[in-house]
Amino acid sequence: MYSLTPVRALRAMVVLALTAGFATYLPAAEAATPTADTATAVAAKPYMGWSSWSMQSSKYPGLNPDGDYSYLTEANVTKQTDALASKLKKYGYDHINIDAGWWRDNSWTPEYDQYGRQAADPKRFPSGMKAVADRIHSKGLKAGIYLPAGLEKEAYNSGKTPIWNAEGCTTADVVHSDLRTTNGWDSSYKLDFSRPCTQKYIDSQAQLIADWGYDYLKLDGVGPGSGKSGDQYDNVADVAAWNKAITAIGRPIHLELSWSLDYGHAADWKKYSNGWRIDTDVECYCNTLVTWENSVDDRWDDTPAWTSLAGPGGWNDLDSLDVGNGAMDGLTKAERQSYATLWAVAKSPLFTGDDLTKLDDYGVSLLTNREVIAVDQSDAPPARPVTPSDAQQVWAAKNPNGTYTVALFNLSDAPAAVSANWTTLGFTGKAAVRDLWNHEDLGTYTNKVTQALPAHGSRLFTVTPRGSAVTLTGYEAEAATNTLSGNANIADCSACSGGKKVGNLYVGGKLTVNNVVAAKAGTYQVKIAYVSGDSRSVSVSSNGNGATSHKFPSTGDWGTVGTVSVPVTLKAGANTITFDSGSGYAPDIDRIDVPNSSS
Amino acid sequence: MSSALPDLPRRNLLALAAATGALAGLPAFTASAAPQRPANTSYDSGTSPNTLWWQAPAGDTSMIEQGLPVGNGRLGALASNDPGHEVLLITDATIWTGGLNGTLDSDGQFPYGRADFGSLTLLARLTVDIPDHDLGAVNGYRRTLDLDRGVVGASYVRSGVTYKREVFSSSPDDAIVLHFSQSGGGRYTGSVTLEGTHGEAAALSFGAQFANGLKYGAAVTAYGSGGQVTVNGAHIEFSGCKDLTVVVSGGSNYAPDAARGFRDPKLDPQKLARTKVRAAAQHSAATLLSTHVADFRAAFGTFALSLGTSSDDQRALDTWERIQARHTSGDPDPELEAAYVQFGRYLMVSGSRGSLPMGLQGLWLDGNDPDWMGDYHTDINIQMNYWMADRAGLSSSFDAFTDYCVDQLSSWTDLTHRLFQDSRNRFRNTSGKVAGWTVAFSTNPYGGLGWWWHPAGNAWLSNSLWEHYEFTHSRTHLEKIYPLLKGACEFWQARLITTTLDNGKEVLVADHDWSPEQGPQDGRGNTYAQEVVWTLFGNYAAASAELKRDSGFANTISGLRRRLYLPEVSPTSGWLEEWMSPDNLGETTHRHLSPLINLFPGDRIRPDGSTPKDIVDGATALLTARGMNSFGWANAWRSLCWARLKNADNAYQLVVNNLRPSENGSNGTAFNLFDIYEVEQGRGIFQIEANFGTPAAVTEMLLYSRPGFLELLPALPDAWAESGSITGAGARGGFVVDLRWKNGKPTEAKIRSVGGRTTTVAYGGRTRTVTVKPGGSVTLKDFAR
Repeated sequence: MYSLTPVRALRAMVVLALTAGFATYLPAAEAATPTADTATAVAAKPYMGWSSWSMQSSKYPGLNPDGDYSYLTEANVTKQTDALASKLKKYGYDHINIDAGWWRDNSWTPEYDQYGRQAADPKRFPSGMKAVADRIHSKGLKAGIYLPAGLEKEAYNSGKTPIWNAEGCTTADVVHSDLRTTNGWDSSYKLDFSRPCTQKYIDSQAQLIADWGYDYLKLDGVGPGSGKSGDQYDNVADVAAWNKAITAIGRPIHLELSWSLDYGHAADWKKYSNGWRIDTDVECYCNTLVTWENSVDDRWDDTPAWTSLAGPGGWNDLDSLDVGNGAMDGLTKAERQSYATLWAVAKSPLFTGDDLTKLDDYGVSLLTNREVIAVDQSDAPPARPVTPSDAQQVWAAKNPNGTYTVALFNLSDAPAAVSANWTTLGFTGKAAVRDLWNHEDLGTYTNKVTQALPAHGSRLFTVTPRGSAVTLTGYEAEAATNTLSGNANIADCSACSGGKKVGNLYVGGKLTVNNVVAAKAGTYQVKIAYVSGDSRSVSVSSNGNGATSHKFPSTGDWGTVGTVSVPVTLKAGANTITFDSGSGYAPDIDRIDVPNSSS
Repeated sequence: MSSALPDLPRRNLLALAAATGALAGLPAFTASAAPQRPANTSYDSGTSPNTLWWQAPAGDTSMIEQGLPVGNGRLGALASNDPGHEVLLITDATIWTGGLNGTLDSDGQFPYGRADFGSLTLLARLTVDIPDHDLGAVNGYRRTLDLDRGVVGASYVRSGVTYKREVFSSSPDDAIVLHFSQSGGGRYTGSVTLEGTHGEAAALSFGAQFANGLKYGAAVTAYGSGGQVTVNGAHIEFSGCKDLTVVVSGGSNYAPDAARGFRDPKLDPQKLARTKVRAAAQHSAATLLSTHVADFRAAFGTFALSLGTSSDDQRALDTWERIQARHTSGDPDPELEAAYVQFGRYLMVSGSRGSLPMGLQGLWLDGNDPDWMGDYHTDINIQMNYWMADRAGLSSSFDAFTDYCVDQLSSWTDLTHRLFQDSRNRFRNTSGKVAGWTVAFSTNPYGGLGWWWHPAGNAWLSNSLWEHYEFTHSRTHLEKIYPLLKGACEFWQARLITTTLDNGKEVLVADHDWSPEQGPQDGRGNTYAQEVVWTLFGNYAAASAELKRDSGFANTISGLRRRLYLPEVSPTSGWLEEWMSPDNLGETTHRHLSPLINLFPGDRIRPDGSTPKDIVDGATALLTARGMNSFGWANAWRSLCWARLKNADNAYQLVVNNLRPSENGSNGTAFNLFDIYEVEQGRGIFQIEANFGTPAAVTEMLLYSRPGFLELLPALPDAWAESGSITGAGARGGFVVDLRWKNGKPTEAKIRSVGGRTTTVAYGGRTRTVTVKPGGSVTLKDFAR
């Protein structure tokens, strides 16, 4: 029960946070009283903590000595609990999340109670799951647990197992009669929520983990998503049932969904849960916890479409933040910093999967940088890319106090200079720049800040504008004065300015915006409003000169408009700007806005 | 100051000097004379158009595109300039595997592998790690290449302290120097590591030997102030230093002498490297720098180029941004374009002095397996490398090429006599006779040949060497190269065959051959061979006359020349034929311009009325068909040909095409201005020729010369017309020209003689004849009248 959290420990934690000068941080759920609006209180900020899966899934020497996936044990969870409490709790990390396998032995054979509910594997957790949660709570931390979607096949027991607290219901009464399977691994029978017993089964699971004292549940293998689509894998009803069950119990339990959730159902995920994994596992299932290419770097492409969905109550989950030990993580220092930077600016939950007893100095500095944590935990919206998803890219968010959080990324395999142009943020002139990773005021920069970034490197700044707002001149793609070639044509688009866009930019399709007037020759950060259901590239050129190919991030679907700024060289007077699909498929173009000054 | 290297007995240095004192076949890596130290040590730097700059360092995997080159003509390196992790990939022009390679494969051609033919490889890798200066923690990073001084630099701020470093390869001190300094109370703490790249462990010095017997070695030392510099096992550690100097040197016991097997058995490169770094470390970094700069400027400062003024916006961009802006804006950037020429000159001075000449990559590698071995390719590449030298005031850098050919000649002659007539060689002489020498498409520094025979390679090499004589009028040079010219003529005397044309005329044609890298492999009378041999025979006659030698043989050769078949224009395509056929037997847009070799670099085909119009038209049509969109050296060669045809627009466009930014390995100019050739989708490799060929094209657009004739601004593009100047441009006929122009017209031309006496000077259809004594000059004005 929630009241099991020792009041003494809770107070000590708040005091610690305050004395550490981190007054903006208040553990959301702790601060809230368990009232009716717990759903919002539960995930007022992206949660922070530790998860067991990264080490459990790794072949890093020594982590899984009793066979693959054997890492997860009571002893290891206790060890990590103590390490989190002593090293990271004061920075806001307060979740210990037990991931997959707690009810399965090292051969992956499951345990269930007499009601078909997952039960602790006695070898892994000899003291049982409640004792583990109690141990976690005794350290002033929250306990997280994990379940797969659906009724696990092994729990079906020929349909004869009774459902707890549901007279007359058995496992046969909660699934479809044809025993259709569901979830990302087809490891469960799909629950049939048209049957009255089915909600009871979810209620029984929810009651069990609530009784044990868990504060967080990761529901995994959820579709559409988890690599599956179609009715058989549509688990929206499961998620709704869990939401209903948790609400009914009254204990605040954070409901997190996994994995690669379908963007098309984002509204459902947002309605019923507190967070959703937007991507596949970050883990590499290899000799380290992760690798850059498999699959940390996917997040730069896959996150932007989701950005607008994140907010209090539900967050875009980028998966574990495994930056604490370079050797075990399998990443360079630059990659680890970039990893942490993206997670922070995207306001992802910050949960590490590292061995907290073996953090290296650099890992500690990354995980405990209060300025960076504050970016993740602040009231500001998540950052989005203000440039295309090219090898060098800039993400930014405007903060409520008028400053900007600006992240520079170099995803190239070679070092590069990366610039953040103020006009892409919406202002011109001077701005003060603070380097958050290095805790250093870098001074005042005019028009832009440029820094050298290593391969896969990043910088994270707070930019305080000292100039004036940028003014833009807009040009609609569909304007009659423009030139369309190839298959390019004008199409309706309710979300677009003017209600129209230019689409069908593929294999030679081209849009030339004519008569783009610049007062002075120079490079202008032209803001492109576009629509693209997937990430697509387009070659942009001016006045028939050399073109540069840019990859525009997905806007999620073909009805949503996004914007990025692209450098375009203009001469004084009238110019043409051409968007050429070349040999591929380009995004649809809504309009362009040209700033009144170059950069 | 503390030194990390134990003292060596002084006598070692003296003994080495004595051992290597012979005049001929001096090893490339040899005891240095006491360096000339300049009195005046102040030089302006940092703001001229000849200072390139960037805002990012190189990474471990991007050294070839982002590393900045240094070199002293022999010892070169690519520097990463990463604040926390400086990496130098060091090589010496002689670090070659392989050998004579004197056994033919079953097809009668030469093996071409890294063990048999060999490859240029790296000598060593030097790293200076400064953990607190991780790139992610520094601010305001800036990196420079000062072409005027020959110095690579980087600066950045860390916690309010400005740190600076300079890297240069000094010829006088025969070592690479890295100097780390700071202002604002900073300190350097870290380590220096020198490693071999062929399995040698980290050490303060190392020596090793290839399977081919070549010994090589390197050594490092470091010294600083205000802190500690200590040796810790294989590394040098420094802590709390206000400044730090690292000196590294190395080389091999290569000797350019076939008679000695291309080795100096007495030379111990490891010991010599230790001696050199110890000697240099006796001096402050400031002294080493000023010594280097004085030496470098003496070589580099012979030539200046202005192509006009760039805008403030252009000047505000770093070099890589500027390359990109040149492409996306379409606007000329005259200072960038001039700096690109000067960058080529920088590579020439850095890569070609006193050792082997530059091959496909010069001294700059990122591994031990450069494409095509980083070798000498004789069907365009090595020739193009040196087209620029005389034209851009670097005649002395040409000597490495000359000396190389001279030193290889005995071996080339021997291989030709032994192996060319092998019955499996499809290019062998039908006559059954063989004489003189020739080469294969690839050559190495051990007298060895690689890949296929290249019969006409001897003529092209000889003609290149002859052109240097035309520029310099150096009799010493002429005497050196005369045996090469004569041997090449002897080869062709034995090779030419008689054939009867349809019109009944009996002509001499080259035997079975390949027009370089395309078409049939058994063509007779290929245009390339006919043209290049025609030029060779002419050059030989001139050499013979000049030296008053072998007049009888020269008469014979001149007789053969008169009977040589010269190409015709195809009645079907209208192109100058590449083969003795009206048909196009190859790729229309093929990279090589072999059949146009006498449009450039030769000048039999001239658009001045002296060449039949149909030939000029046919050459123009062929050049047009070859297209404008090739890559590096192929574009440079096209540009040179268009300059010869006085088509400024095309010549300039091809220069611009080579300046396109190389992205993801695409053809064009890399971040560090190296020219990149996309060998396959997404894989670009560095090929140095265009870095020389493109500057050569720029000079050729401004000044055309052949003995007795100079033409000013033959192909001046609009982009550079407003005003400009070229100073110190070499001209065939024995002159150096300083030329200024304004509004597209020359305003002043100073013709300085380095041996020439009289020449016609032409501009816009008007000509004047000037006479000038060697050493003297004449200045011409008022061309517009």
